[in-house]
Amino acid sequence: MENQKGLVEVASEKIWKFLSSVKLAVILLIILAIVSVIGTVIQQNESPDTYLREYSQTTVDILEMLGFFDMYHTWWFVLLLFLLTANLTVCTLDRFPSTWRVINAPLKPIEDDGLKALPFKREVTVKGAMNAAEERAAAVLSAHRYRFQKTQGTGTVQLVMQKGAYSRLGYIITHISILLVFIGALIGAFFGFKAFLNLPEGGASKFVYLRNEPMWDKIMASLGVADSPVVYSPEGGLPAMPLGYFVRCDTFDVDYYINASGIPTGMPSEYHSTLSVFDLNGQKILDKRIRVNDPLTFHGITFYQSSYGMVPDGRGKILLNIRRKNNPQAEGETISLDPGQALYVPSIDRTIRALGFAPYGIRNPATGQVQFYHTENQELINPTVEIEVLKGTKPLFRAYVMKTDPSEPQMPEDYRISYGGYWGARYTGLQVTKDPGVWIVYTGFILLCIGPLIAFFGSHKKLWVKIQDRKGQAVITVAATSNRNRVGFEREFNRIVDEIAK
Amino acid sequence: MESSLLFNFATLAYLAAMVLYISFLAFKKDSIGKSASVVTYLGFGVQTVALFLRWWESYQMDIGRVPLSNLYESLVFFTWSTVLIYIIVELKYRTRVFGAFVMPVAFLALAFINVSGISTDITPLVPALKSNWLFYHVLVSFLGYAAFGIAFAISMIFLLMDTEDRGPSTNAFFGMAALAILAALGYFMAGQGMKTAFWLGLGVLILAWFIFLIVAGAKHKPQVFLFWSFCVTLAVTLLVAMGIDFVYLIPMQHLAEGESFKKHMFEATFLSSSLPVVILSWAAVLGLVFFIWSQGMRLKTFLKQYMPSMDQLDDVTYKMIAVGWPLLTAGIITGAVWANSAWGTYWSWDPKETWSLITWFVYAIYLHARYVRGWKGSQMAVISAVGFLAVIFTYLGVNLVLSGLHSYGGM
Repeated sequence: MENQKGLVEVASEKIWKFLSSVKLAVILLIILAIVSVIGTVIQQNESPDTYLREYSQTTVDILEMLGFFDMYHTWWFVLLLFLLTANLTVCTLDRFPSTWRVINAPLKPIEDDGLKALPFKREVTVKGAMNAAEERAAAVLSAHRYRFQKTQGTGTVQLVMQKGAYSRLGYIITHISILLVFIGALIGAFFGFKAFLNLPEGGASKFVYLRNEPMWDKIMASLGVADSPVVYSPEGGLPAMPLGYFVRCDTFDVDYYINASGIPTGMPSEYHSTLSVFDLNGQKILDKRIRVNDPLTFHGITFYQSSYGMVPDGRGKILLNIRRKNNPQAEGETISLDPGQALYVPSIDRTIRALGFAPYGIRNPATGQVQFYHTENQELINPTVEIEVLKGTKPLFRAYVMKTDPSEPQMPEDYRISYGGYWGARYTGLQVTKDPGVWIVYTGFILLCIGPLIAFFGSHKKLWVKIQDRKGQAVITVAATSNRNRVGFEREFNRIVDEIAK
Repeated sequence: MESSLLFNFATLAYLAAMVLYISFLAFKKDSIGKSASVVTYLGFGVQTVALFLRWWESYQMDIGRVPLSNLYESLVFFTWSTVLIYIIVELKYRTRVFGAFVMPVAFLALAFINVSGISTDITPLVPALKSNWLFYHVLVSFLGYAAFGIAFAISMIFLLMDTEDRGPSTNAFFGMAALAILAALGYFMAGQGMKTAFWLGLGVLILAWFIFLIVAGAKHKPQVFLFWSFCVTLAVTLLVAMGIDFVYLIPMQHLAEGESFKKHMFEATFLSSSLPVVILSWAAVLGLVFFIWSQGMRLKTFLKQYMPSMDQLDDVTYKMIAVGWPLLTAGIITGAVWANSAWGTYWSWDPKETWSLITWFVYAIYLHARYVRGWKGSQMAVISAVGFLAVIFTYLGVNLVLSGLHSYGGM
C-alpha cells in the first residue's frame, strides 16, 4: 500500500513539475504559433467545392482528415489551448508563494559587507552632528516618498525602506487575466449560442436558428437529465432556439453616401433596422433602431445588424407621405399603395396613382429630368416613384418623388407628397448571440491591459541609509537595489544621495 | 488638399534629418546632431498637423472620419508612430546614433507612399468601420508596431555588432544555393498546383532555422550573421520589388479600373510570366545577399566607434518590446471588443486576428525567455527579428496575401 502511495505522490510531483515549467510554456507558445499559421494559409470552413478548386482530391482528403479545414476547433488544437491554460495555472500557483514571501519579507538593517554587495551604493561625508545628518536624510527620503524604519545601533543609525513591492504581482495579474479570458470563452461555449434570423419587414419570430448549440444543453439532453430547449425541425433544417418572446422587424433600410451634387452613390453608409420586442401574449415591450456597431440586447440575447437581402418574389408597398404646405412640421399622413395602384385620399380630396417605381432614380440637377436605373439585386440606392395626382378622374399633375432628391419636385397644390419608403420587399439579416461569459472575458481584458504595465514598469525598490559618526563628521552610506528599470532607478538614487550630501 | 502639401513637407524634413543624422555619425559634431534632432521634431510636428488637417478635411467633405482607415493613411500613420517612438528613445537615452537607422526608414516609407500612386483620396467608411473603436484600435496597434519596428532596427544593429567573424565564404554560398534551390522548387511546385504545400514546407524550414538560431545562436555567430544578411536583403528586396511593380504596372495600364494592386504583386519581378525575368530577379536577390554579407563587416567597423555598449543595445531592444507588447495586447483587445459590438463575436480566428496572436506569442516567448530564463544577447535579438517579421506579416502580409475582414486589403 505504502509503495503505491509513494508512486502516486512521485507521479503527481512529476506532473506538477512538468506543468509548472516555463520551458513547457515556451514550447507550447511555439507550437501554437506554428500551427495557427496553417489555419490562416488554408481558408477555414469553406464549401467542399471551394477546396476542390484550390487542391486536388487527395490533398483535400488529407487536409480534411487532419481537421485543417476547421483547425481551430479540432480536438488537438483545443487540447493545446487547455495545456497552455493548465501550464499557466500551475506555473502561477507554483511561483505565487515565493513571490508573496518576497513581498512580505520585513526589511532588516544590513552590515557593511552586505551594503557593499548591493548594485547601487555611494558614501558621502557631511559636516555636523549625526542628528542633523539624520534629520536631513529623513527629510530628503520623505520628499521622495519613502517611508523608512529606523534602527539605532551603537554609534550608527540605519534607515531601511522599500517601495513598489506589490509590483511583483504584475505577472500574476497578467496570468490571471488570461485565465479569465479562457474561462469566459468556455462559459460562452457551454451556455451561450450563436444564431441568425432573417426577418422580412413586418415579419416576427419567436425562434432564432442556431449555428452552434449551447454545449451544456446538448450534454444534459444526451445524459437524459434535462430536455434541451432547442427545437429540431422534422424537415432537417437548422435547430431553432426559442427566445421566450417575439422579435419583429418594423423597418429596414440602407443609407448611401451622397456625392457633391446631392445624388446617392452606390456606397452604403449605414444599414439599420427597427426591431420591436413583444411578449408571448403580443404585448409590445420595447423597440430599438439597430445599426452595425449598435445592437439590441434583451434578456441576455443580442441582435446584431449583419446583412440584408430581397425577399424572394417580394413586392414592396410604396409608402407616400402627405403634408400640408402651411404646416410642414406636422406628422402628415402616410398612405401605402402597390405599384400601378391608385388610391383616393380623403384629407386632400385627391386620388394618387403610382405610375412607376425604380430602385435607383437620378434627377439631373440642371434639367430636372429624372432617369431610372437598374441596380444589382434590385438594390434600393435611391428609390423613386412616379406619381400622378387626379381630381376625380381628371389628371392634375405628375411628379417624381424620391428618397434623396437634390431639388424639390414641383407640387402645384397646397400639399406636398414625399417618399416614405418601399416596405416589405427586403429582409434584415440578424446575427443573434447569447454569451454569458463575455463579462468575464472583458474583466480579463481590463486586467490584461493593467498587468503587463505593472510587471514591466513597476519596480520593487529597496534602500538602506546608514549614518555613522567619524571624528565629528557624519558618514552616510546609501545602498539600494531594484528588480526592474535599473537605469531609471540609478538616476533617482543619485538624486537622493546628492540631495542628502548638499 | 493642404494636408498632402504638409505631408510632402514632412517627407522632405525626414530626408534632411536622415542626411544630418548620417553626417552626425560621420563627422561626430554635436551641432550637426542637434540640428538633426530639430529637423526631426519639425518634420514630426508638421506631420502631426497634417494628420489633424486631413481629419478636418474629411469633415469638410461631409465624410467625417479619423484618417486611419486605408492603406495610404495607415502607412502615413505607421511612419508617424515610428518617428514618435524614436523621438522618445532619443530623449530618454540621450543618444542620437539610432537616428541614422530610423530616419531613412521613415523617409523611405513616406517617399514610397508618394511615388507608389496609392490612392490618397479620403474615401467614406463602410458601416462596419463606423465606430469609436476604430481610433483606439488603430492608435494602440500602430504605436505597438512602431515600438517593435525600433526594437527590430536595434536588434539588427546588435546582431551586426555581435559578429566577430562572418565565417568562410562557403557559408554565404551555401545560403545562396539554398535560396536558389528553394526558388526553383517554388517555381516548379507552383506550376504543379502545389503552392500551399510549398509555402507550408518553406515555413517549416524557416522555422527550423529560427529555432536553431535561437537555441544555438550564441555559438554559431556566422549563422546569425547570415540570418542578418537575409533580413536586410528581404527588406531591401520587398521595397525595390514593389517599387518596380508600381513603375511597371501603373503607366502600362495593367491595372484595370478599381482593380486591386494585390492581385499583381511582384508580377513585374518574381511572379513575372517571363522565365528570364524571374531568373534575373532571383539572381539579383542572390547578388544582394552576397553584397550585404560581404560588406556587413565593413559597416560594423565603421559603426563600432559610435555605438553604445552591447548591453545598452540589448536593454533598448527589451524596453521597446516591453512598451510594444502591452500596446499590441491593447490593440488585440480593442479589436476584440469592437468585433463583439459589431458582429457579436470577440474572436473568430480571422487571419488578421490569428496573425496578431502569433505575433503576441512570439514576443511573449521573448519576455519569458528574458525574465525567467535570463537570456540575453544574440538569441534575444533573433527572437525580436522573428517577432517583427510576424508584425510585418500581420500588418501587410495578411492583407496582401491572405483574405479577411480588415479594410485596406485593396490598395
